[in-house]
Amino acid sequence: MIKYDAAEVGEIETGKCKIFNINGRSIGVYYNGENYFAIRNVCPHQQAELCKGKISGTTLASKPHEYIYGKDGEILICPWHGWEFEIKTGQSLVDPDRYKVKVYDVSIENNRIMVYM
Amino acid sequence: MNSDKMKKQSKFNHGIIDCDVHQGVKSYEDLKPYMPRVWWDRLNAYNATLPFLLYRPISLERSDASPGNELPAGSDPGFAKVDFLDRYSIDRAILTGNLLSVSAHNNPDYAASLASAFNDYTLDTWIPSDDRWLASIVVATQDPLLAAQEIDRLGSHPKVVQVLLTSGSREPYGQRRYYPIYEAAVRNNLVIAIHGGGEGDGINPPTTAVGYPTTNFERHNILAIHHMSQLNSLVCEGVFETFPTLKVVFVEGGLAWLPHLMWRMDKNFRGMRSEVPWLQRKPSEYIIEHCRFTTQPIEEPDNQELIQMLRMMRAEKTVLFSTDYPHWDNDSPLFVLNKLPEEMRRRVAYENAVELYQFNVNPIGAGGNSR
Repeated sequence: MIKYDAAEVGEIETGKCKIFNINGRSIGVYYNGENYFAIRNVCPHQQAELCKGKISGTTLASKPHEYIYGKDGEILICPWHGWEFEIKTGQSLVDPDRYKVKVYDVSIENNRIMVYM
Repeated sequence: MNSDKMKKQSKFNHGIIDCDVHQGVKSYEDLKPYMPRVWWDRLNAYNATLPFLLYRPISLERSDASPGNELPAGSDPGFAKVDFLDRYSIDRAILTGNLLSVSAHNNPDYAASLASAFNDYTLDTWIPSDDRWLASIVVATQDPLLAAQEIDRLGSHPKVVQVLLTSGSREPYGQRRYYPIYEAAVRNNLVIAIHGGGEGDGINPPTTAVGYPTTNFERHNILAIHHMSQLNSLVCEGVFETFPTLKVVFVEGGLAWLPHLMWRMDKNFRGMRSEVPWLQRKPSEYIIEHCRFTTQPIEEPDNQELIQMLRMMRAEKTVLFSTDYPHWDNDSPLFVLNKLPEEMRRRVAYENAVELYQFNVNPIGAGGNSR
């Protein structure tokens, strides 16, 4: 695994995802105010630029006609067909074993955001 | 995927004609120069411009296809050329607009004026921007005589290839009140396109025949019933006997319902033919000769099952490729066309549309384009 210098701390605003080209791959780096997350900018469905979608919460599994909102800031929604992915794991909510987006480890060193690939 | 890679991979040994691309205005203000003053105030009035009863969890226009400055996707022809035509190596793209609930408005004169203004805007703003764009003219169906006038007004424009109706309607399209529209289409050598839109809005009947669905998910799952109902009506009422040169393309209704409907119609015809003595052939024969169906939103079963279904509906003759760019549920050309066997792919991607719209084409790569 190689460590790549992606950006400076502060370059990504809280709640935003910024897209970088890292080692020839398009990767979104998201900052939730506490931690940084790196996720491949390609939806496994039709190859749309996933990280241009909305970061959101979503409805959690519930009984019919019961609505429970949760996972605020933990879900990335594809701007094309609305597929939802867990930012932490890259797994799709509907079919987590079949549809996954690659996620990468991130660390902070000397005020730089480092992505491990 | 970057655009260079995408372009390389989309070079099949035939072209691509996209039969459903949505263009729109930056704001309704753009239409004022084309509309009488009397209607202007409605363009900015809440809930009066167009009727629309729907919440969409994902916005209709793709957020990643905005030309910038928070403008809606599909509002800038220059941006769409680069983001869409060039990126996917599209040879021709038929614009279908975004006035898809115009026929649901309660005021037939305003609706007709809005449709005319939108058509003029498209011909002034989009069509001159690139040779690959072709136009549909949208008509408001509340008053079929006004619709026919609009078809005669613009039908001879060399870039106009079809007349667009929405699948939501007050009455089934086979009924005689709509015949002035078909007469005008035939007179101007134009295809009729029936595109989703207006179902359950304004003056139209509910989104389903049993009432309104609760969610957009439930609504979207069942939308094809409108395409089914319109196709059924056109065939049973004998529209293709009355207008033997009429061609109708069903846009954005999906595909897999067609084998079901054709089989059911042919079976019932054996026992109930006496009700429709004007039909000289089996219903499915009218459909295969006169009707075409666009791919998006393509059903996504196992690929073997998809190919089986396409063969059942004679896709090599009846199916046209479409993306629905820049709407949220658009299909990328690679995603759809790579699923198909080569022979079927060539027909769907290119040849069926060339034949339907009577494009004059030189051999691929020679760059000919007379329409």
